[in-house]
Amino acid sequence: MTNKIKNNIYVRVLIKLVLLFGIVFVVDFSIGHLLRYLYFSQQSGNLYRTTYSLEKTKSNLLIFGSSTANHEYSPRIFEDRLHITSYNTGRDGTSIFYQYAILKGVLKRYSPKMIVLNFDLEEFKKSPASYDRISSLLPYYKTHPEIRSIINMKSPEERIKLCSRIYPFNSMLFTILVGNTDFNKERRKDFQGFVPLQKMLNKELDSGYYPEYELDSNKIKIYRSFIHDCINANVKLYVVCSPFYNKLEKFPNSIILGQKIAHENNIRFFNFLNDTSIINYPSYFADRNHLNYKGAAIFSNKLIDKMINEEDDQSALAK
Amino acid sequence: MIFTSFNFLIFFPLVIIIYFILPEKWRWKFLLISSGYFYINIKPVYAILLLLVISTTYIFTRLIDATDSQERKKTFLLIDIILTLLPLFFFKYYNVVNEATFNLLEITHLRWPLPEISWLLPIGISYYTFMAIGYSIDVYNEEIPAEKNFGIVALFLSFFPLVLSGPIERAPNMLPQFKGKLIFNYYKLVKGLQWILWGYFMKLVVANRVGMYVNAIFNNINEHNGKSLFVATLLYPIEVYADLGGYSLIAIGCAKVMGIDVMQNFNRPFFATSMSDFWRRWHISLISWLTDYIYTPLAFHFRRFRIWGIVIALMITFILSGLWHGANLTFIVWGTMQGIFLSIEALTNKKKKAFVRKYNLLQKGWYILICSVFTYFLFAFSEIFGGASESVTAGFLTIKKIFTDFKGDVWYENPSMIIITSISIFILFVVEFKAEYYKGQFSFFGNRSLAIRFLSYAFLVIMILLIGVLDGGQFIYFQF
Repeated sequence: MTNKIKNNIYVRVLIKLVLLFGIVFVVDFSIGHLLRYLYFSQQSGNLYRTTYSLEKTKSNLLIFGSSTANHEYSPRIFEDRLHITSYNTGRDGTSIFYQYAILKGVLKRYSPKMIVLNFDLEEFKKSPASYDRISSLLPYYKTHPEIRSIINMKSPEERIKLCSRIYPFNSMLFTILVGNTDFNKERRKDFQGFVPLQKMLNKELDSGYYPEYELDSNKIKIYRSFIHDCINANVKLYVVCSPFYNKLEKFPNSIILGQKIAHENNIRFFNFLNDTSIINYPSYFADRNHLNYKGAAIFSNKLIDKMINEEDDQSALAK
Repeated sequence: MIFTSFNFLIFFPLVIIIYFILPEKWRWKFLLISSGYFYINIKPVYAILLLLVISTTYIFTRLIDATDSQERKKTFLLIDIILTLLPLFFFKYYNVVNEATFNLLEITHLRWPLPEISWLLPIGISYYTFMAIGYSIDVYNEEIPAEKNFGIVALFLSFFPLVLSGPIERAPNMLPQFKGKLIFNYYKLVKGLQWILWGYFMKLVVANRVGMYVNAIFNNINEHNGKSLFVATLLYPIEVYADLGGYSLIAIGCAKVMGIDVMQNFNRPFFATSMSDFWRRWHISLISWLTDYIYTPLAFHFRRFRIWGIVIALMITFILSGLWHGANLTFIVWGTMQGIFLSIEALTNKKKKAFVRKYNLLQKGWYILICSVFTYFLFAFSEIFGGASESVTAGFLTIKKIFTDFKGDVWYENPSMIIITSISIFILFVVEFKAEYYKGQFSFFGNRSLAIRFLSYAFLVIMILLIGVLDGGQFIYFQF
């Protein structure tokens, strides 16, 4: 008799749990689908630019990187001077994982002629946040099998978590909603992906050593893959370190290693970190890490000069 | 393995299923094995420390129980406490003692430098050490007989829902439960699951979300203005509450699902109308431990000084509470501040009570609101030294900036951050407000309608998936 009652309770619990999971499943499915629809309907903003970079851009010169790339490389200047269509795929807070995923998405569709990869001071720094931020690629897991291996680096359980339809859009609700309004287009304009910063720094230039940090072997591996994929697709790659508002006595290990790997693969590595024609002018910076619109224009032109001169050197050598 | 890890979401249901499949007499043994597995998964070497504390406690409580001589009992208790505290002192205070000794040796030119050793604090050590000491004192005071079964003592001190961050439970509550019938109870199962769900909401949606803002400000005090620091100061207690409160609810809920009742750790602290009221609602398991084993004996000892004896006992208790949180000057400042607040309340208590009674203030909403807000502000500002700032200097700089640096706007990363953070705090406060002032009314989890109950559960799950910070976000109290 007792066992019978006990079994009945167990069955009751089981039925209720199944019912609860059923409700959660239906709500998750419905909201998840709505979010997916709204996500891909956006016409402006960060999230839209990721979709555009991954699925739509056909430009012949692409700029890759994190916020430094996004705020410092003006595609219009590249277009005017190099006579080549250009787009800035940079996104705030991303790392080489994100950039490599975008590259894979692009190369699946076409091969651009040139790629500029912005190389950050902490490019190879071991940081759990870099893995957390792979989540910005989750909305594309379903439709882009080529980037799944990168998403799986976030955690081995990612595939299971993606059973939820809402999960890929976690924390994006309001950004997606705002991304579907005209107000968002006006709020922070981008120029072919490039988002200029308006602020102006008002600080003395410091000098010193950049803090030491541990290197992440996964990031180094992905950086190598980025280079190899560009070489295999016949894309001319430039790796660039943009200016940082601090006179560095010694470059961080990432820069030294990044440069070494680039040279091993005959890739040009331009280092503007201690470029006094930029870092001596705080008015070119929005903050220590980022150039403002004025600095971005000057830096873009300086980089193009270097690219052209290198080209000339190469042509001269060929002759 | 922590509660917010994916592994735990597999581990816990598996434990529950096997636990209820097993015959009742096997259940505590299975819990012991599961707890061992749970702790070993964090860092196997630290499990040795836990085993040492368990063994010491077991041996000495048996010795205390076996002897009739009061003197010998006292000696055994002292040895037991010293041995139990040794690992905690070594790991928690090693660096501080080290540094102080080095400084002293350097002054006297006797320093002989050797390579420094860096120790990580074994997770949960502050909690299980206090539980062990509490048990030994209870045996000494003959409130409970010494447990003869080593396995039961081991389970008490290593019970996986509590071992990492409490609540700091007591032997008289836990041992009889482990030794008694661990039977399936539908009511407890449902209640436990509800608490687990709400605990996850508090941690993932509120604590982690608020923490993102607070950390961005406090990690970079120099770069932020007074307004942003003021907002972060007000938000920090919410982060800590949602973090430890959320953790505690998950822990208590896990135990409840298995039919084990664990004490509550929080009781809507932000509705407290005085600091003494606040400390009856905040981290209850730690404060009640300190009250029973430190404050009460001290107050008794200093009873000849009357009210000043209470002040002395309060100051010592809260400075020790600060030291429990960390071997850091900031925590001593924090503990001293709590002691001062409570002492002032103790000294003015009679006059205040008479004043309140005279004007019938306890019936007036505006008075309760002012008292709650004032208490919150006092606690929030003391928390600048209770973990928000890295050092005392940084803490004072924060306070200075709050009152002098009004330049610029309040910092925020993006509007979405403000909206989501506000929504999460709003939900938390609405639920707490309802529980504080409208108990039993408008119940969601306890609603008679199955549809409302289930939709409430689904709502929370969806909120966690939609706006929860699912990556990172270690529990703050693991560091203590």
